[in-house]
Amino acid sequence: MRRQRRGVQLLALVFCFGLLAAACGSDKKATGNAASGSSSSSSAAVPKGGTLTIGAEQEPDCADWVGTCGGSSWGFWMMQVQTMPRAFDVLKDSSGTYSYKPSIVLKGEPTLETSPKQKVTYQISDQAVWNDSKPITSTDFKYTWDQVANGTAIYDRTGYKDIESVDDSNPKVAVVTYKNTYADWKSLFGGQFGILPSHILQGQDRDAMMKDGYTFSGGPWVIQQWAKQDSITLVPNPNYWGTKPSLDKVIFKFQADTSAEFQAFKAKEVSVVYPQPQLDAVDQIQAGIPDTQKIVSTETGNFESLWINNSKAPFDDVKVRQAVAFAIDRKALVERLFGGLGVHDPLQFINAGINKAYEQTDAFAKYVKDLKQVDTLLTGDGYAKGSDGIYAKGGTKLSFTVRSTAGNKRRELTEQVLQQQLKDAGIDMQIDNAKAGDLFGSILPQGDFQAGIYAQVLTALTPGNCTLFCSSNIPKSPDFSGNNWTRTSNPELDTLLATVDSNLHESARTTAAKKAQTILSDNMNTLPIDPLPNVLLWSNKVVGPVGDNAILGPFFNINEWGISA
Amino acid sequence: MKTDDEIGEEPAPFGVPVMAEPHAELELSPDAEPVARSQWQLFRRRFFRHKAAVLAGTVLLFLFVVCFGAGWFAFYDKNHQDLLLGPTAPSKEHWFGTDQLGRDTLTEVLYAGQISLKIGLAVAFISTAVGAVVGAIAGFVGKWIDQLLMRTTDLFLVVPAIAVLAIALKRFGQSDDTIILVLAGLGWMYMARIVRGQVLSIKEKEFVEAARAAGASGPRIVVRHLLPNCLGPIVVNLTLGIAAAIVTESTLSFLGFGVTPPSTSWGNMLSSAEGNYSINAHLLYFPGLMILLTVLCVNFLGDGLRDAFDPQAKH
Amino acid sequence: MLTYCLRRLLYSIPVLLVASFLLFGFVRSTFDPTSRLRASRDPSVVQAERDRLGLNDPLVVQYGSWLKDAVSGDLGVSSRTNEDVSSMLWRAMGKTLQLIVIGAFVSAFIAVGVGVFSAVRQQSVPDYLITGLSYVGVAMPPFWFGLIAIQVFGVQLGWFKFVGLHSGDSTAYDVDYLKHLVLPVATLCVQIVASWSRYERASMLDALGADYVRTARAKGVPRYKVIFKHALRNALIPLVTVMALDIGALFGGLIITEQIFSIGGMGRLFLDALLQGDVYVLEAWMIVVAALIILFNLFADVIYGILDPRIRLS
Repeated sequence: MRRQRRGVQLLALVFCFGLLAAACGSDKKATGNAASGSSSSSSAAVPKGGTLTIGAEQEPDCADWVGTCGGSSWGFWMMQVQTMPRAFDVLKDSSGTYSYKPSIVLKGEPTLETSPKQKVTYQISDQAVWNDSKPITSTDFKYTWDQVANGTAIYDRTGYKDIESVDDSNPKVAVVTYKNTYADWKSLFGGQFGILPSHILQGQDRDAMMKDGYTFSGGPWVIQQWAKQDSITLVPNPNYWGTKPSLDKVIFKFQADTSAEFQAFKAKEVSVVYPQPQLDAVDQIQAGIPDTQKIVSTETGNFESLWINNSKAPFDDVKVRQAVAFAIDRKALVERLFGGLGVHDPLQFINAGINKAYEQTDAFAKYVKDLKQVDTLLTGDGYAKGSDGIYAKGGTKLSFTVRSTAGNKRRELTEQVLQQQLKDAGIDMQIDNAKAGDLFGSILPQGDFQAGIYAQVLTALTPGNCTLFCSSNIPKSPDFSGNNWTRTSNPELDTLLATVDSNLHESARTTAAKKAQTILSDNMNTLPIDPLPNVLLWSNKVVGPVGDNAILGPFFNINEWGISA
Repeated sequence: MKTDDEIGEEPAPFGVPVMAEPHAELELSPDAEPVARSQWQLFRRRFFRHKAAVLAGTVLLFLFVVCFGAGWFAFYDKNHQDLLLGPTAPSKEHWFGTDQLGRDTLTEVLYAGQISLKIGLAVAFISTAVGAVVGAIAGFVGKWIDQLLMRTTDLFLVVPAIAVLAIALKRFGQSDDTIILVLAGLGWMYMARIVRGQVLSIKEKEFVEAARAAGASGPRIVVRHLLPNCLGPIVVNLTLGIAAAIVTESTLSFLGFGVTPPSTSWGNMLSSAEGNYSINAHLLYFPGLMILLTVLCVNFLGDGLRDAFDPQAKH
Repeated sequence: MLTYCLRRLLYSIPVLLVASFLLFGFVRSTFDPTSRLRASRDPSVVQAERDRLGLNDPLVVQYGSWLKDAVSGDLGVSSRTNEDVSSMLWRAMGKTLQLIVIGAFVSAFIAVGVGVFSAVRQQSVPDYLITGLSYVGVAMPPFWFGLIAIQVFGVQLGWFKFVGLHSGDSTAYDVDYLKHLVLPVATLCVQIVASWSRYERASMLDALGADYVRTARAKGVPRYKVIFKHALRNALIPLVTVMALDIGALFGGLIITEQIFSIGGMGRLFLDALLQGDVYVLEAWMIVVAALIILFNLFADVIYGILDPRIRLS
């Protein structure tokens, strides 16, 4: 027995070496090229019927959009947009500019009165009905406002809490009166929340009725089934008064992660994917996936930055902040991260691409890699290069720790690139990543970081940066609410950003926003890195006006899509 | 050959690459005399007859040397990036190819090996030591201490290991040291049971009673007489522990709870390769093969040691 | 026999209680059930939730009230989805059970077959090959095998499916279901078969060398009858015990398999809960899995007692 087993072991070792050898020679490049068309054949007749299966990267926590569990992008794209009526659509015109357009719920543009109080009158379309044929009424507006402004465990009361009353005396006319001016009023009765059906929910436990999916709908689709941890199935709403869906069924199938999603797409288990632009996704797209098309958009609701804690050493010193900005070669970084998608330029302002009309889009362009500048700034600040090549002042090395979401491979690689670049410039950078829940739940709010890499995602078309940079939004003990995690505090900035949020005149808002951007850049409160492009890939079998919408998501017009046999 | 108790009480833990029959086999014969010089020669001769174990030991030694000597052997510096190059297949310049930041995979595999091997070794040593001490105390002292220690062991055996490990790492941080301590903290129970069983069976032997009669103190008896007799199982458990720790670490790293960048282990190299292995398969193959090779060799080495320690075992 | 079972069962209860208290304390002290709510832009939400959950009470009190509810079947509500934890566990358990039951059957079948074959054909080329492969199977990180299997059999050859247990929103147990099962079950089986077949081979060799087998052979009983009736029956005893223990461990041990194959079972439930700090799910999950492990330990003992009459005497 013993001798025999040794023979076996030798054999197994040989087998193992064989595998090693095989691994050396078995690297084949994927063949075939993706059709790189960036727009689809929308004019072709869309066939009726069929089932479309779409890969979904994340399962939403719940479908109670108003509640604390409701803030999920995927939930919004897959279910909210398809079933909840909204006062305004956010649409892209032919020049690529996003703007609010009244939706088919309304008869037309609502009337806005600015004095004595802000007052908005919505005329509701006579055709607008829920899927049980009951009309959509002003009472639904009133109920929605009441729930958001006065309900418990609400995700975000912004805007709704500025409303004084909603008059529903005429069922087809909703008159909304504000107690405080709210410039971004078009995002209300829509946005992340939609309009809730008062005739179904009134007097009921809204959260309990909605959280696991609901059967009512005022959109083109009805949620047929939400099989938790597996899939969501949509079927057409027969009473929808707009374009009725061509497809019989849409299935969103949850995937464990981006790579699983790509494998499923390649194996044709799903026909559409909307992956995060992870490095490997970019590589795959660059290598080409046969029989597929893609859209890459850089004007998105997302942007990624090196967020800096302005209240923590060494970043309480503007010269150090600027030195870091001059030490980083953002262009090389963006080229590596997204070059394969055709995105070559770093983001030069702190805001999402869709708001560029409001912003000074080249505010940060002065920060290019310039080691001389780094030296001038730091030497002028009392730093000197030590024997290890790292600057130091008063015996303290110029060193900081960057924190990001653990497990996000793109960010982990970004950190390693930054670490190398900063080291070359004489600045030491350490990495300490945390799980997303901890990072956004406690680390950033409590200011337990020096610098962070993460993205901000816009959920409405609004230029407001006040949430992120107004001193009133700096989180404080004990509950640490407020999203000014960078602890930026600048009275001039506060005034400008307040104007952007509350002034009802577009030109005044734009001027203030541009000025604020320049101030952010001069003080280097945070360094924008990239616009975090959106990527949509679909099989050639999918026909119709497939395209991305930065706010409503890639599936906002899926009622116009079809699938060819 | 197997006693009933062993099979009932000491099954191979699932998910841990322990060979199927080891526990029965690695028991020292209860009649074994204290290890003497001639024993050592016998041991050596028996071990060197076991060719696969010798080969495995040599391969392991080689791995250790190249990994810990990576500073001399690797062709590139650690974390040397070539952003414009990006991922490439194996070539003359880069034998194992390059990764997404254009780093040489061979270099990275070697440096990652330092962490993987370090974790494997440290976990095996610590958990074996803890297990041996707990088992020896329980077996030798007996009474309520034995009860207490063994019930604690039971408790540790019923917790869902990977889950507890993941939570513990989340709680205590994911530095190499915490990974080692946490893995060791959940890996000592089998050793404790084996050593306790050994001590119980040896305790009643004549030479121990003789020592006791001669007035030797408790600790002295344990150190001088009982532990040397458990040396076989301890050494075998040590080798198997290395294998188990390397695989567990890679599993945790793959899930994102183990070693985190910029520090790299084979497991987290696999984790970062997961995304694009369909176009850059080399990033998946090489770290995985390193794990496979190491664990295989460690297991063979363990087999060889077991046979060498246990001349009576035969089929 | 009955008293033996009862005694073991009673002994398990304090173990479970102590284990559950420790696990509970461990989870509670690691995670803040309200950290998720900070994403909400309404500060009063967090404080209200802390009061509602009694998070300011001492740990023992928190455990006491949790236990009271748990015994009456209420495991709390997920802080992530507001869903009943017990219904989440049931749903996840259903999927994991499918994998475990099928995986265990397939593994047992292959392991016994392979084990017996290589014991009977000891030192033949197939025996070398099988034993060699089992070494490799045991040494291979399971997720590595799974990923390669997806790439080769799922994507390149397109033979099998690898997302979930069904295509689309189907729930039928048909050919499509089988196509989804092959790869995850294979991933699960690789390690188990490798380990079980080695176990079976060893105990089969023991049995074949035992006196009663030799006697049977001497009496002229045909070879196949000796192998299958006498030797195999005895060789199965230790294997069945090991199986019970391994299966118990699988309930919490399929994290990676479920993650790779996007199957919403116990493993992914745990991962999601861990990443989101979903305290109530984690507590219930840990304790349910610990209880299952204890239960299968108990099974192992009892089965062993039934199959091996000698143990009853002690």
